[in-house]
Amino acid sequence: MNHNEDPPVKLKGVGDSLWVSVDPSLPIEQLKKELIKPFERLRHLAINARVIIDTGKDDQENNDHLIEQLGTYLKAEFQVGHVTRPTPPKRSVNRNRIRQQDMGNAWHHYRNDGLVLAGRVRSGQKIQARKHLIILGDLNPGAEVIAGGDIIIMGCLQGKASAGQPDNEEAIIMALEFKPTQIQIGGFVAAGIADSDGNQPEFASVEDNAIVVDNYKKGNPFRRLAWPEVR
Amino acid sequence: MDGKVIVVTSGKGGVGKTTITASLGAALAVQGKRVAIVDMDIGLRNLDVVMGLENRIVFNIVDIIKGKCKIKQAAIKDRRIDNLFLIPASQSDDKDVIKPENMVWLTNKLRKEFDITLLDCPAGIEQGFKNSIAAADEALVVCTPEVSAVRDADRIIGLLYAQSITPKLIVNRIIPKMVESGDMLSHEDVVEVLSIDLIGLIEMDDRVVVATNTGMPLILQEDSKAGMALQRIALRLDGHPDLPIENPMIQKSFWKKLGSKLSRKN
Repeated sequence: MNHNEDPPVKLKGVGDSLWVSVDPSLPIEQLKKELIKPFERLRHLAINARVIIDTGKDDQENNDHLIEQLGTYLKAEFQVGHVTRPTPPKRSVNRNRIRQQDMGNAWHHYRNDGLVLAGRVRSGQKIQARKHLIILGDLNPGAEVIAGGDIIIMGCLQGKASAGQPDNEEAIIMALEFKPTQIQIGGFVAAGIADSDGNQPEFASVEDNAIVVDNYKKGNPFRRLAWPEVR
Repeated sequence: MDGKVIVVTSGKGGVGKTTITASLGAALAVQGKRVAIVDMDIGLRNLDVVMGLENRIVFNIVDIIKGKCKIKQAAIKDRRIDNLFLIPASQSDDKDVIKPENMVWLTNKLRKEFDITLLDCPAGIEQGFKNSIAAADEALVVCTPEVSAVRDADRIIGLLYAQSITPKLIVNRIIPKMVESGDMLSHEDVVEVLSIDLIGLIEMDDRVVVATNTGMPLILQEDSKAGMALQRIALRLDGHPDLPIENPMIQKSFWKKLGSKLSRKN
């Protein structure tokens, strides 16, 4: 049989939950033993985590009992949160709708963790934001801004900007006038680009392990997103 | 009514703080104000040399603060201009002997005796700078059209705002020819970065060197462009804030002007 070659228990992170694939042909006691190993390593992540137990393609219905037992076991041993079986694919249309609703709710109930500042940041001043940073003003040479997420300068960026600190390479740095001394995104560093066209809004992002600067109007990276997302 | 205390500062050294302080003091005194100029650069004094008073120093600012003498004993009257007094710095002491609270005490006394007190701030942002701005009501930031000077001035402006002082800008040593050819920042570029009110533009002037070495006030030299610019700044500081700011331009000769007019017609 095919799945005898696979390990009896596999664990991976899917979205906000832990996806556990188990082999239903094995006795339940052995499965419990096999579950200890991966969960022991992730003990701190497992607490209150959502767990999906996947017993493979063949008839899910008969395995409900197994999933329930394993779920109770995981809840008792590792304090995991909700345990479910995989959502049947036939409900995908419905799920899409739920996802859209979730999205609507996501920004309704979203706690703002962006820092919005107005004014000019002068040489020697240093601003640190935990997540996104928006400056309605200019960033003078010698000034420094650091953000955990994106940096958006509604004015002229001439100082040093470090986005996505320490390791978010998805972050962008955008400015109406893009003339930075130096920029950093995640772990990547780029020296200021002298010949950038200061009259157009530009943004920097990481592409193929390098920082790339592009015209924001032409290369808007978020235009292709299906619906508004929380960053 | 109490007089006002104005600090002249820049961050970067060698941009003309001391010369501007001495000349503004002289100009204000000539306009009829009672002016005290205080050299805040403890340990590296040179305002006395610029004003030509170095041989008359008996007491200095540290002696006043330590209570060894009275302000009247330490303030040296200028040789040429009445109503102009210098309180020299100490050359031998360390700059840490003065603290901000000492300066507040001193300037409160000076406000009673003088209409205007000018503080010549040392370069940098250390103790001497902190002492100078602790006591000031107003600030003049001197900047030359150089990237490094602009950077330092920007830092200084931030620190002044943090002390609730709104500074005014003097752009010094402008060479119109280089600005026109694009080799030097224009004063517009400087103002764009610093974004504070401009109070005067001073053109590069060889006579400043002569004035500094001989102790002859710049504003008393009739054909000095810098001296005239400083006199206008003094007027703006004292009662004429709306006096228009003249932009230093290349003095084209009559024949060149004529030539350019003729060529425009073609």
